[in-house]
Amino acid sequence: MSGGSSLWVQRVFLLAAILAAWEACARLVSDRWISSPVAIAGRLAQWVAGDLWYHLAVTATEIASGLAIGIPAGVLAGMLLGRSVRLAAVFRPFIVLLNSLPIVALTPLLIMWFGLGMQPKIVLVAFVSFLLMFFNSFSGARAVDDELMDSLELMGATASERFFKVVVPSCLTWTIAGLRNALPYALIAAVIGEMMLSRSGLGHLITRSAQQFDMTGIYSALFVLMVFGGLVNEATTLMEDRLLRWRHLETRGG
Amino acid sequence: MRNRNAAPKPEVVLAQQLVFLVVLLATWQFASGRLIPAFYISSPSDIVAIVWKWLADGSIWLHVGSTIITLFMGYAVGALLGIGFGLLLGLSPRTERLVAPFIAALYGLPKVALLPLFVIFFGIGLVSKVALVASVVIFLLFYATLAGVRDIDRDIIQSMRLMGARSDEITRKVRLPAILPWIYTGLRTSIGYALTTTVVSEALSSNRGLGFLIEYSASQFNSAGVFGAVVVLLVLSSVIMIPLGMLERRSRPTRPSR
Amino acid sequence: MPVLRLVHPEPAVGPTEARRRKIGLEKVAVDFATRGKTVRAVDGVTLEVPEKQFLALVGPSGCGKSTILNMVAGLLAPTEGTIEYDGAPVLAANTRVGYMTQKDTLLPWRTVADNIGIAFELRCRKASAGERRERVAEMIDLVGLGGFERHYPAELSGGMRKRAALARMLIYEPETLLLDEPFGALDAQLRLLLQQELLHLVERRQMTVILVTHDLEEAVLMADRVVVFTSRPGRIRATRDIPFERPRNAMELRFRPEFSAIHEELWNELKDEFAASIGGERGAK
Repeated sequence: MSGGSSLWVQRVFLLAAILAAWEACARLVSDRWISSPVAIAGRLAQWVAGDLWYHLAVTATEIASGLAIGIPAGVLAGMLLGRSVRLAAVFRPFIVLLNSLPIVALTPLLIMWFGLGMQPKIVLVAFVSFLLMFFNSFSGARAVDDELMDSLELMGATASERFFKVVVPSCLTWTIAGLRNALPYALIAAVIGEMMLSRSGLGHLITRSAQQFDMTGIYSALFVLMVFGGLVNEATTLMEDRLLRWRHLETRGG
Repeated sequence: MRNRNAAPKPEVVLAQQLVFLVVLLATWQFASGRLIPAFYISSPSDIVAIVWKWLADGSIWLHVGSTIITLFMGYAVGALLGIGFGLLLGLSPRTERLVAPFIAALYGLPKVALLPLFVIFFGIGLVSKVALVASVVIFLLFYATLAGVRDIDRDIIQSMRLMGARSDEITRKVRLPAILPWIYTGLRTSIGYALTTTVVSEALSSNRGLGFLIEYSASQFNSAGVFGAVVVLLVLSSVIMIPLGMLERRSRPTRPSR
Repeated sequence: MPVLRLVHPEPAVGPTEARRRKIGLEKVAVDFATRGKTVRAVDGVTLEVPEKQFLALVGPSGCGKSTILNMVAGLLAPTEGTIEYDGAPVLAANTRVGYMTQKDTLLPWRTVADNIGIAFELRCRKASAGERRERVAEMIDLVGLGGFERHYPAELSGGMRKRAALARMLIYEPETLLLDEPFGALDAQLRLLLQQELLHLVERRQMTVILVTHDLEEAVLMADRVVVFTSRPGRIRATRDIPFERPRNAMELRFRPEFSAIHEELWNELKDEFAASIGGERGAK
């Protein structure tokens, strides 16, 4: 692993060099547009001692509540609709149509309906994650191997036993793939909602800073969002590795 | 007994689809103002009326045109840069490994958050919107191109060399065919993200475009305007996306990608 | 790998005893629609399988052998004719048969042991956890997969997957086995061992079997009766009783002169059909 650790050393040096160049530019030329790493660090420290946690909690709550509604509903609806040949055929064009619509375009409508609190963001996150999960588990349910269904039916499995032992686990791959989209998208949706109209949350931190032409505030908020986004991504990858061990073996083993 | 070939008859399905659509619209029309205030949900007839008015006075074309221009300019700039960086770093794997975590960190950032920054830099208008759309597309094409470069089979290149192929022949016959499908997939998937970003940037800071129209109507509490703009957007997005979706279906099923 | 048990003290059942009809096909024909054209896969097949008989279907690929198994399993309705099982028409999935398809239908997200034990999770075959564990271990032993219980199908070779599928089917002791090229992907030695083990099981448990294979030797070694199919559309070309005693020793049987004679006799029927099917494919190209 010595190669790996030296790579990390190089990365740290690269990062240090970038930050140093940034700081130098800020001091020697102007920090009007680019702020400076030191100023940003100072602001972050100030936020950590102040209201950062409140805004973080608001965004996290919106995401968690939205996902808690959207994911199960989307997965279930997708699987049930996907397994019914008739319903799938009837609803197909509507689904395709809905799939092509940028859902976040509905944010202003939701704000109009629910005001500027957390509800419109929760509804938006729920809606976005519902649709993403729905499309994925719908495709997953359509792709279930009929021979697996047959083999269980011949063993005497009832329709519900087949659903839970074949359709559900077989959809899991697609569901996880859906989560890979849905989790980052949930963050995006929440931030968009907050940027459009709100008094709290990470998106609000950015718009608040922007309205005051506070560049240090903007960069600090972006940094927080980047870390938050990275954590969401990391969590998704971890969960995927856990749940899809058999799948990775399959793609690796060919 | 099950009969695998027994797909429902197309005419029957079409009839059921029409019935569903009619029932949906009729329920909406009935509920509006009776069960739910029209303020919230408008009604199909009002929506048709407002879209008709926009079409009649031609005012809609300003917004549709603006959305299309923003979308394609951002898409083109982002795609070119993304492919360029992808090739550049794909061909120098050492550098790529060095900077990979930094790129991944930037990728994890919800790009819409950059909009206020771009507005401060470039002002409200086309440039900041295009920059935002490009910032989304660039990452998607970068990763797609990188995957394509990695997909090049070194054994094939070896055996081509042994057969006496020149470097440019190898590029033409092995490298490009390996990379192009990945770029193609990247271009196809990123158009949806580009459209979403376009509309959001219009809604957040602009004075034209379908996103602006939605946001403006909502701020006037004009729900018919909101739904009307969404309907126009739906038409536009399906004109752009559905042909792509049909192409996409051939290359399914997708594995969950990392 | 554990040694397969080859000792079997149970009484033998000869092929000649008159028994009641277990499976009956009456003038069965099947059409498939491919690319807008209708192709007749099976035509005018009338076939009876008495209880406890081991029947082998041989023929070139694409002659509709697998289609016949699908119909007996109740997964496919014939275009014409009727299928009966135990005197009643087959109208839905036939849960009294064990069906081993050409492609193994192991669930990829379950380990070998969980795949083999799945039957005991179903309401109709519920068993206690202890009994299930015991039976699964027994079966894993039987098919020689000891040490691979916790592996996923993707980690196994084709042959091992076949053996796991075999174990999963045998564990609930269906009264009838439908086997579609069960040993197709196995290497020669393993094939012999498993053929012998399957013979032993079938003889001991007195199961009715339809075996589909393109391997004539396998058919003659194992079956009480061999039916030769024509190339598409599949029709019955010849039927031959195989008079060897039960229990059989497949290892020893293949060196007997009678075996060679029957093998040659059937091969003469079969080889024209192979030639015809290859010619047909060439003609299509």
